[in-house]
Amino acid sequence: VKAGARHAVGRLAEFPQGRIRLVDVDGRSIGIANAGDTVYAVLNVCPHELAPVCEGALGGTMLPSTQGDADYGLEGRILRCPWHGYEYDLADGGRAAFTSFRGRVRLFDVTVEDGTVFVDVPRRRVRDT
Amino acid sequence: VIDCDVHCAPASLDALAPYLDPYWLEYARNAGVQLHGLANAYPPVARTAPVPAAVEALEPAVLGRADVEHVILTCPALFEVHRNPYYAAALATAVNEWLRHEWLDRDERLRASIAVSVSAPDLAVEEIERLAGDERFVQVLLPVRAEAPYGNRRYHELLRAAARHGLVVGVHAWGGIGAAALPGGKVHSYLEDYLGNHVTVQSQLLSLVSEGLFVEIPDLRVCLLECGFAWLPALLWRFDKDWKGLWPEIPWVTEPPSSYVRRHVRATTSPAPLAADSDESRAFLELLDAELLVYASDYPNVHGVDPETIETLLGDAAPAVLADNARSLYRRLASVVP
Repeated sequence: VKAGARHAVGRLAEFPQGRIRLVDVDGRSIGIANAGDTVYAVLNVCPHELAPVCEGALGGTMLPSTQGDADYGLEGRILRCPWHGYEYDLADGGRAAFTSFRGRVRLFDVTVEDGTVFVDVPRRRVRDT
Repeated sequence: VIDCDVHCAPASLDALAPYLDPYWLEYARNAGVQLHGLANAYPPVARTAPVPAAVEALEPAVLGRADVEHVILTCPALFEVHRNPYYAAALATAVNEWLRHEWLDRDERLRASIAVSVSAPDLAVEEIERLAGDERFVQVLLPVRAEAPYGNRRYHELLRAAARHGLVVGVHAWGGIGAAALPGGKVHSYLEDYLGNHVTVQSQLLSLVSEGLFVEIPDLRVCLLECGFAWLPALLWRFDKDWKGLWPEIPWVTEPPSSYVRRHVRATTSPAPLAADSDESRAFLELLDAELLVYASDYPNVHGVDPETIETLLGDAAPAVLADNARSLYRRLASVVP
């Protein structure tokens, strides 16, 4: 595979639904999250403290609610960082969900063709020096 | 100047006799139960006058100041009797009637805190309802040391009743007998007992915010009385930081915890961890945000700063701390009292 292009990262069947699995694309660690109806590609860096965010769990989260309501939702689209528990909503551009933290995880475009998962990863900018 | 914490207490049970049911008067005398005046909360050598037992004792130190607009009385006489919730409720009624007749009726600048039986929150609600019509009561007085943190469900109706009537919930240093001075447990030195107020109050604040009381009761206002304020910047910074990762545990808290504190909570200036006039004091006050403070002399105790020192330290921000912040916190102060 070449940088700055579509990269085939594997067969869809190799990415179990509800899980996130790490692949290497052009030297970058990227998590492929199979959320069932959508596949996300996430740069494995947490915007908070640069943790390997994709080693965290893919799941849902508590929705803002009053005490006793116990309202759970956004199943399958929340990525939870293993270091500090920051949660990112992959269906909302990777924004941190329901907190004052303004960071977001970096997402790449994903396409699935004939059962193969492709990720669009821009070419890395290289300094001239 | 609005002085948000001035103590008073009946000199003895006899002073409450006209207002206390004979059953409970007999109970107290037979059981040898004493009132708690807070005079005994400070060692004999402490710089403190006796707790005022009559309005004359507030002259000249408190009411003698020409610029005093209001003085909010706190009577801690119940703080040691909460073990018997029924006696505490009867005593609360007696204390409140004593406050009305022997204090509020004698000087129109005086306002008072409603004493309640904290171990019987339902009876506390009844007492709040009974007195809510008297606009001179501006606060409900709770001891900082309680049987459970005030965010606990058992206190929700009490807090709701206070908010419903525009009464501030005053959480005051010291507490009920049997309640530990420190969240970690009981201690045996006066030093720990005294400093424990500054520590325990932090657990009360954590509890009120985390249990979502300020979301559930948008009109709830809390004043932390005689519990210090130097700990606020460190606690609020850490509270906000850890909330960012742990909020799913308390999903009803949808804003950073410090924003609720800024909207709903104030702390009195006494005791103050401030040197009279120093660069360190100024730097600290900048870190804290003086918007969180309301002035209190804490009379007769001497561990705060006087209004003149506040003016020196805060300059333009002094009027807010000396009166304006209290005026917006205690909305009942704006009521016209006949």
